[in-house]
Amino acid sequence: MTMSRLPAPAGTLLDRAKPITFRFDGQAYTGYEGDTIASALAANGVTMLSRSFKYHRPRGLLSAAGHDANSLVQIGAEPSVQADRRRVVAGLDVQPQNVFGSLTRDYARAIDGLGRFLPVGFYYKTFFRPKGTWKHWEKLIRALAGLGKVDLEAHHGYYDKQYLFADVAVVGGGAAGLSAALEAADAGAEVVLIEENPTLGGALGYARFDAAGQEAARVREGLVGRVTGHANITVLTDATCNGWFADHYLPVIRGNRLYKLRARSVVVATGSYEQPMVFRNNDLPGVMYASAAQRLMRHYAVRPGNRAVVATANGDGYGAALDLIEAGVEVACVADLRPERSDGALADAVADHGVPIVRGAAVTEAIAAKGHVGVEAARVARITGQGQTAAVDDRFACDLIVTAVGYNPTANLIHHAGGRLAYNDEASMFEVVWLPETIHAAGSVTGTFALEAVLGEGRRAGWSAARDAGRTVGAAPAVPNDRGMRGINHPWPIFPHPKGRDFIDFDEDLQVHDILDAIQEGYDDVELMKRFSTCGMGPSQGRHSSLNSVRLTARANGRTVNETGTTTSRPPYTQETFGVLAGRSFEPDRLTPMHHHHVAAGAKMMVAGQWYRPQYYGSESSRDDNVRREVMAVRERVGLIDVSTLGGLEVCGPDAAELLNRIYTFTYTKQPVGRARYVLMTDQNGVIVDDGVACRFHDHHFYVTATTSGAAAVYQHMLFWNAQWRLKVNITNVTASWAAVNLAGPKARDVLARVCKDVDLSTEAFPYMEVRQGTIAGVPARIIRIGFVGELGYEIHVPASQGEALWDALMDAGKADGIVPFGIEAQRLLRLEKGHVIIGQDTDGVTNVFEADMAWAIARKKPYFVGKRTLDIHERNGLTRKLVGFSLKNPADPAPEESHLVIHDGAIVGRTTSVGRSHVLGKVIGLAYVAPDQATPGTAFHIRIGGGRMIEAVVEKPPFYDAGNKRQEL
Amino acid sequence: MSLDPASLPRRAFLYRELQALGATFAPVNGMAAAISLRDGAEAEQAQARSMAIADLTPLRRGGYKGWTALDWLRGQGVAIGENNTTVDQPDGSRVARLADSEALILGDLEGGSALLDRVEGTWSLESAEGAYPVPRPETNAWCAITGQHAATMLAKMCGVDLRPKAFANGAVAQTSVARMSAIVIRRDLGRTLAYDMIADSAAAAYLWRCLIDAMGEFDGAPVGLAAVRALAAEAA
Repeated sequence: MTMSRLPAPAGTLLDRAKPITFRFDGQAYTGYEGDTIASALAANGVTMLSRSFKYHRPRGLLSAAGHDANSLVQIGAEPSVQADRRRVVAGLDVQPQNVFGSLTRDYARAIDGLGRFLPVGFYYKTFFRPKGTWKHWEKLIRALAGLGKVDLEAHHGYYDKQYLFADVAVVGGGAAGLSAALEAADAGAEVVLIEENPTLGGALGYARFDAAGQEAARVREGLVGRVTGHANITVLTDATCNGWFADHYLPVIRGNRLYKLRARSVVVATGSYEQPMVFRNNDLPGVMYASAAQRLMRHYAVRPGNRAVVATANGDGYGAALDLIEAGVEVACVADLRPERSDGALADAVADHGVPIVRGAAVTEAIAAKGHVGVEAARVARITGQGQTAAVDDRFACDLIVTAVGYNPTANLIHHAGGRLAYNDEASMFEVVWLPETIHAAGSVTGTFALEAVLGEGRRAGWSAARDAGRTVGAAPAVPNDRGMRGINHPWPIFPHPKGRDFIDFDEDLQVHDILDAIQEGYDDVELMKRFSTCGMGPSQGRHSSLNSVRLTARANGRTVNETGTTTSRPPYTQETFGVLAGRSFEPDRLTPMHHHHVAAGAKMMVAGQWYRPQYYGSESSRDDNVRREVMAVRERVGLIDVSTLGGLEVCGPDAAELLNRIYTFTYTKQPVGRARYVLMTDQNGVIVDDGVACRFHDHHFYVTATTSGAAAVYQHMLFWNAQWRLKVNITNVTASWAAVNLAGPKARDVLARVCKDVDLSTEAFPYMEVRQGTIAGVPARIIRIGFVGELGYEIHVPASQGEALWDALMDAGKADGIVPFGIEAQRLLRLEKGHVIIGQDTDGVTNVFEADMAWAIARKKPYFVGKRTLDIHERNGLTRKLVGFSLKNPADPAPEESHLVIHDGAIVGRTTSVGRSHVLGKVIGLAYVAPDQATPGTAFHIRIGGGRMIEAVVEKPPFYDAGNKRQEL
Repeated sequence: MSLDPASLPRRAFLYRELQALGATFAPVNGMAAAISLRDGAEAEQAQARSMAIADLTPLRRGGYKGWTALDWLRGQGVAIGENNTTVDQPDGSRVARLADSEALILGDLEGGSALLDRVEGTWSLESAEGAYPVPRPETNAWCAITGQHAATMLAKMCGVDLRPKAFANGAVAQTSVARMSAIVIRRDLGRTLAYDMIADSAAAAYLWRCLIDAMGEFDGAPVGLAAVRALAAEAA
């Protein structure tokens, strides 16, 4: 297909030296760099971009600015791309949306003929009867609903985020925004100017402000030149400010990046949306806003048609007519909705070209070309009353109908910020009547259209914003009194047709009678009307439908527009992708110093909070064998596990013991130096929240361990309480400072003795639950004799930077004894054999000390610890469940899984928390919550396992292994 | 011939990443420091002026925390400024005041700190009640982020306004970088904009990945300690 373009200077966004080939609906087209998909297609004579949502009617360019859903297309996995904003790139494969077949041969277009059977709200009333019918309808509706196709297998692309900072954020790079930015920047403010289009200037870049067509270019050149050269102004083009949030926090999307802009004051200069005229077939391709036609011509050098009818109620329509004439388009007629002569110079210039101007007339119908793919003619008739026209009309052959009947403020950000708008009845336009402090507005968003007033208002807004940002400013710039508000909007550009297809909302295929029917049904409040009819709920979110629908609602209710009100605009301003919101999705991970050794040894790593830990060593297919091998090594010889992820807290000061005494359930004031003691933490509800060991190295110094996942919370818990107690104690979270291992097994002492020469490791000199400081292979170490796994064991803590060296030294020293590294799975089974609980696995968010059968960890003579008062109450009230050890009555039964339910007389009384098959004991063992009257050793209880089968378990008092705890105290 | 980092018991948290880049190591404080990477000295300095990251983990650092920490340090002759500022010390160390009860001490780029030698030699639990050491060499990794694009790059990961006009040389931010807690200190190297980042040693590899990724659009790359030293030696 041949491309047709206007000569330069038309095509300001194009680089004609760079042709680009792309595909649309299976066919190849050529455009230029700088083209949008829609402009390149228009240059190739393709005006139909999509099919409408409900009736599958052909749709084409309406706004050419992303203000409507007509231009939504699919590109690969990306649905609902705005074809009038997305620029073409080589090889782009664009597909139409919402078609069954091809765009021109859409099988669903037959729905358009069934429109009278599909009144507004029909889906609320139709598909639920008879009962059971919905499931059949649902499939059909789901097949028809939606626009593009989401690729659920698509990978997350590369997106990121960046913070930006400014004294003044100016949103909108038109005349008002440019002058505001300059004024603020001249006052010394640091300005970020955000413009959603590729170039600055706004309407100055495409609209016509004077008959000669010189004014806009002159003003634009001056403003843009100064802005781009200003040291205090950062310009972001192709950037969309998608909302306003508290304290001027502005999300700005530019490509795949989300800028998070924090400003001290904001100028909203976002302009206004041109509004459609309502007449029969006003949705046909070839019917477009005057601004759309002008954008096509000026930006993209595309002649939008060959013969045009212009319907206007303001000077912009005449400006567009002049542009069309200069572009070689024959203007068949200008239908001016106003009865009186207006816009003298522009209208005279149009008349001078011999164009007939019909005053007090409106387009009443666009006559469709064959196949409904465009316009063949326009019917123009005299206006006889509000929304009424004479029966006699004139038929003008044309392929283009351009409308210019008014604007609605792009006030989304003002709404987000809590600003208020009201309808000015004299101007038939919404205008800003109140703005929050440090937010300013300028230009047509405020209802100001006269260029000098727009520039003055911009300067005033920039001045105010600079002042709010703390800059020294001079006298406030003057703003001309005549804002040019009147004569822009026609009060009633709505001309219902007896045969309908007079669209109010193009996104949702809503016609005049749909809005009136909704009101007739009782949905007479504008918010109810919106939700019942879905008017304004499509992709363009009311940009082109809210003004006319509110006018209709007001008139139908016999109220004014202000009495009727408008719907609320909330962020986001326009479409945004999940990818943009997700950004790079920072997911921190923490590695122990020995991490790479584990990976090299074939460990299967698992995530524990932010940490990676070895689950077991060896292949996944041999998981059970690997765990068994590791367990048996610890029970029979010696094993080494990385416990660097344990929390570590240094508690120092004269009141260190007192702090622990209040924070934990045991007593610590008399704990001797050199001793370790179990710590159990409860919250104020007596709920167990963490445990660990407190090692006393000095009267004023404890080293306290915490669980892997609980370290940060324990630290905060201590800080929180001591902020109130004001004890002389300092708490430091040193979790990452220490690498730690647990060397465990009957050969542990022999292994350690080979590399630790400065600590007497004999049972007498270094008994169970004592701590020592020494060196291991030259590495300074804290050595704790504890026995989580139930064997002779040493928990060794060394500076993190020397963790690898410690691991190497112990593995070397243990070779002769067959040392093996062991992982979390083996450790869990080993401790289960000892009956030790894991906080968070064997306890939950409400488990108190008595339920966990850990009353032994409470120092009852202490006057206070956090949670004591509640625990006293719990003890008086008695238990509702209790944690017990169990084994299976029938060893042949399958092992339950964790969280299988304990059933008593048909009721749920508890659940299993830990279950494992002990190779040492030769049976399945576990921990479970049972009813208090089931907690006596020897009592049988039932567990419901997978498939609903009940198996019988017997309460067994832990520890299951080495009941006398002799092995760990060797 | 380059030192093998694994031949020393103290190992920097990023030595494997630097090894993979072909770094040449030399011992600093008993740890292998990446002195240079594959590029020549001139090229590394040019890189550092534009956008680079260097691992400073082997350098000396320490800290004291507690209700008398600042007074105790002052008593040792340490100059301390306002909260979230650093003060240069006569020996080339710098002291950042993190709170009314905490200070961070950073040694010089050669790996020394006479100030830390002095205070660590003096300190004991008995003599310094209310002032307790923070094991910064182990808790934290330390890197320098250098070059004209440094502030813009950091804005992709950190919500604090670190631009030179808003964040003075010597200013301290205790903040979140890529969702990890970090201390960011502006410390220009001669004429080159630069920041110290002191963050969780266990997350060093994660932050390294994030920083390398973020500086990609500025053609940023790691450099060795020598390049940092060379920039610091330039007149400001």
